[in-house]
Amino acid sequence: MEEVKNGEKLTLVTRKPCFGLPTACPTCLPVYIYLRFAQLPFDVEYNLIYPDSDQIPYVEFGSHVVYNNEKGGVIQSLKDEQTVDLDSDVSGIPEWVSTKAMVESWLAEAVMYELWVGSDGSSAQKIYYSDLPWPIGKCLYFKQIHMVKQLLGITKGNAERREEEIYRRATTAYNALSTRLGEQSFFFENRPTSLDAIFLGHALFTLHALPETSVLRSKLLDHANLVRYAENLKAEFVDADSSSSSASPSQSDPSSSVPKRGPSNWSKS
Amino acid sequence: MAASFEDNSTGQPKDDALKSTAPARTEPEEDNDNDDDDSQEEDDDDEEEEEDDDEDEQPPLTRQARMQSDRAKMEALFRRLSTERVPVRVHDVLIKGNAKTKDSLIEAEVEALKTATTVQELLQAAGIANARLQRLEIFDSVNITLDSGPPELPGTANVVVEVVEAKNPLSGDFGIFSKPEARSWSLEGSVKLKNLFGYGDLWDGSLAYGWDQTSEISAGLSLPRFKGLMTPLMARISLLSQDWSKFSSYKERALGFSLGLLSSRNHDLSYNLSWRTLSDPSQISSRTVRRQLGHGLLSTLKYTFKVDRRNSPLRPTQGYAFVSTSQLGGLVPDYRSLRFLRQEFDLRYAFPLGLLNAALNFGISSGVVFPWGNGFLNRPSYLPERFFLGGNSSPVCTLGGPTSILGFKSRGLGPAEPRRQVGENSTTESADASSEMDFLGGDFAVTGFADLSFDIPLKVFRDAGIHGHAFACTGSLTSLTENSYREFSLTKFKESFRHSAGFGIIVPTKLFRMEVNYCYILKKHEHDRGKTGVQFSFSSPL
Repeated sequence: MEEVKNGEKLTLVTRKPCFGLPTACPTCLPVYIYLRFAQLPFDVEYNLIYPDSDQIPYVEFGSHVVYNNEKGGVIQSLKDEQTVDLDSDVSGIPEWVSTKAMVESWLAEAVMYELWVGSDGSSAQKIYYSDLPWPIGKCLYFKQIHMVKQLLGITKGNAERREEEIYRRATTAYNALSTRLGEQSFFFENRPTSLDAIFLGHALFTLHALPETSVLRSKLLDHANLVRYAENLKAEFVDADSSSSSASPSQSDPSSSVPKRGPSNWSKS
Repeated sequence: MAASFEDNSTGQPKDDALKSTAPARTEPEEDNDNDDDDSQEEDDDDEEEEEDDDEDEQPPLTRQARMQSDRAKMEALFRRLSTERVPVRVHDVLIKGNAKTKDSLIEAEVEALKTATTVQELLQAAGIANARLQRLEIFDSVNITLDSGPPELPGTANVVVEVVEAKNPLSGDFGIFSKPEARSWSLEGSVKLKNLFGYGDLWDGSLAYGWDQTSEISAGLSLPRFKGLMTPLMARISLLSQDWSKFSSYKERALGFSLGLLSSRNHDLSYNLSWRTLSDPSQISSRTVRRQLGHGLLSTLKYTFKVDRRNSPLRPTQGYAFVSTSQLGGLVPDYRSLRFLRQEFDLRYAFPLGLLNAALNFGISSGVVFPWGNGFLNRPSYLPERFFLGGNSSPVCTLGGPTSILGFKSRGLGPAEPRRQVGENSTTESADASSEMDFLGGDFAVTGFADLSFDIPLKVFRDAGIHGHAFACTGSLTSLTENSYREFSLTKFKESFRHSAGFGIIVPTKLFRMEVNYCYILKKHEHDRGKTGVQFSFSSPL
C-alpha cells in the first residue's frame, strides 16, 4: 500500500463524536488514536445510520478500504500492510503481548457490559441511536442488548455472577496496568504502541462517555496514574491537532452538542 | 320478476291479475327479461318449483288459457316499461341468507335501490347492486328479487336480497403476476381468507419470488367499506428483500406497512411506512454506496393519477395514456426520517396505420427525485429511491415512469463508480472493466421510444397473436444532488442520452408474454452494460 505514502489522504469513517471525544464508540476510538500516534494525516467522516455494523470503523485510501471485520481489525490490517506499524519492536515481547490480550479481552468485555447492560443505556442511546428515527433506534437498541447478553453468556440465572466476574477481571486488569505503567508516559519502550492506542481508547471512553454512576468508571478512577496517563495523552494527541484533521458528517449533522470537561474535574459517586 | 304497480293510464288496476298469477308468470317473464335487461337478477329454481306445483294443481284447459292471458299481460307490461316511466316506490329492503355477514354491509351496497322512482330505475339499480355484491367476493351467489309491497300500500315494491355466503372461507392462489411496485414480474403464491368478521373483510397472505431476485412475504387486509368511506380500504404489511449485489453492491431489506387510502379508476392514494436497511455483505461496494449503508425510515404518501384510453394495455393500436406519480417522503415530524420528493410522468400515444393491423406507438417518460429539508442541496438522494434505467421490460407495456431502454441490461446505464479494489492486481486480471463498477442510478431520468407493431402476414402467426415490431429507444440518466445540479448544462444533458434501435417478435402465451428482440446499440457511454445482439424478455401476460 505504498499509495498511502504518495499523498493520497486517508479517510477514517467512524461513529459520531460526543462527550468531548472525537468519536464516542469504543471500537472506533482506538483506531482514531492509533492513526494519531502514527502522525498520519487523515480526514474523519461519520456514519450515523448503521449502529449494528461490524464493518465500522473503516479506513479508505483511494479505492482501497480496510474494514474492521477483516483480517483482525483495522489496526492489525494497517500493520500487516506495513502502512504504519508502531509495534515492530515490541511485538516480540511476551509481556506486551499478554498485556494487550488482557486489555482486548477483559477490558473490552467490561466496557461492552457496562455500556449495554450495566448502565441505564443513556450513553449507548446517544452514541448509536440519536440520529436514527425513534422506532428504528429502539428496535436496534433492544436487539443489541440481547446480542451482548448472548455474547457475554449472561442469562437470568447467572447475571449477578457474571457481573461480579466481569468487574473483578476489570479491577485486576486496572491494577496490573497501573503497576506496569508506574510513572511512565507509555506502557512499553517509552513510545506509543497499539497497546497504548487500545487502552487509551478504553480509558477515555470509560472516563468521559460512561455516566457518573458507572461502576467501571469508579474503578478506573481509583488509579490516579492511569487517569493522568489518559488525560495527558488526550491533551497531546487527541485534542491538540483536532483542528488540522477536517471532520465532516456523511449523513445529517450529529444532533449532540459536545460538552467539554476539564481534566481535574473528576468526581466519584 | 314479480312487481306490483298501479296502471293509472288505463284506469284498470292490473296488479290483482299480476299478483294472482305470480308463480306462473315466471317462464314467459324470463324470456322477456333476457331480451330487455342485461342484469341477471334471477335464480329461477325456487320459482320454477312453485310453477310446477301450481301447474299440477290446475286443470289443463284453464291452465293453457291462463298462460295465454298471462303472456299477453306480460307483453303489455313490458311494452309499457319500454315506452313510459312506470312509477314505483320501494317500501322495504329485506336481506336474507346472511349468517355471518353484517346487514350494514349489504345494505350499503343496495343503498341506491331505495331511491329508485320508476320500475326501470329499480331494475337498473338492482342489476348494479347485484354486481357490487358479487364483487365483494364473499358470496357464492346473490339474488335480488323485486316483490310487491304490502297490499294496503299500492305502488310499492319490496326488494328481497338473498345471499348465499361462501362455504369455504379459505382459498389459495398461485400465479405469475406483474406488480406495479416491482419493475418485473414475480411468481406468487397466496392464501385468502374471506369474510372473517362479517364486514366483507378479505385477509390474504402471500409469498412472492421475483425475477430480479426479489423475495417478499406479506399479509394484507382489504375492507370494502370502512365506516362509510366510499372507496375500499387496504392495509398491507410486508417484508421485502432485494438483492442488487451484482449491479450496485448492496442488498436491501424493507419491513413496511402500507395503507391504501383512495383507489378509483383514475386516482390512487396510498401511505407507506417502512424501515429499510441497506447492507453490503460482500464488502466491495463503491464509496457512494458505502456512505448510504445503514437504516432508514421512510414515511411516504404516494399519489397516482392515471388515464388510460388505449384500446389494449399489451398491444395498443389506438388511444393515449397518461400517468403521473408523485411521492412525498418524510411526513413524520421526526427530522431523521428520509425526506425526498419524487415525481414521474409518462405519456403514451398510439395510432393505427391500417395495413396489417399496424400501429405506431410513441412514449415519453421522465422522473426526478430530490431531497428536501435542512441542507438539501448538499445531501445525496436516497439510493433505492433513485431512477435506474435498463432491463428487458418492454417500454410499450410498462406504463408508469422511466424504466427501460431495450438493449441495456438491468441497472445498466447511468452514473457509475468503481468498486472497492481488492488486492493489487484486480484491474489487470478482470477483462470486463464494467463489472468493477457500481451503478448508482440518477436523480433525473428521461426515456422515449417509438414502436411500430404489425401483424406477420401468415395466418398461423396472426391467430396465435404473434406479431412483430420495430423500435427505437432513447434515454438519459443524470445526477442532480450533492451540488451536481450546478454542473448541469444542456450540452451535457444532450450528451448523456443513449440510443438503441431494433426489431423483434412478440409471442403472447397464457403464462407470460415473450419478446425476442435484436437490439442495436447506437450510442452508449463507457461503462454502460449494453450489448448489441439478441435478447429475450419476459413479462406478465396480463
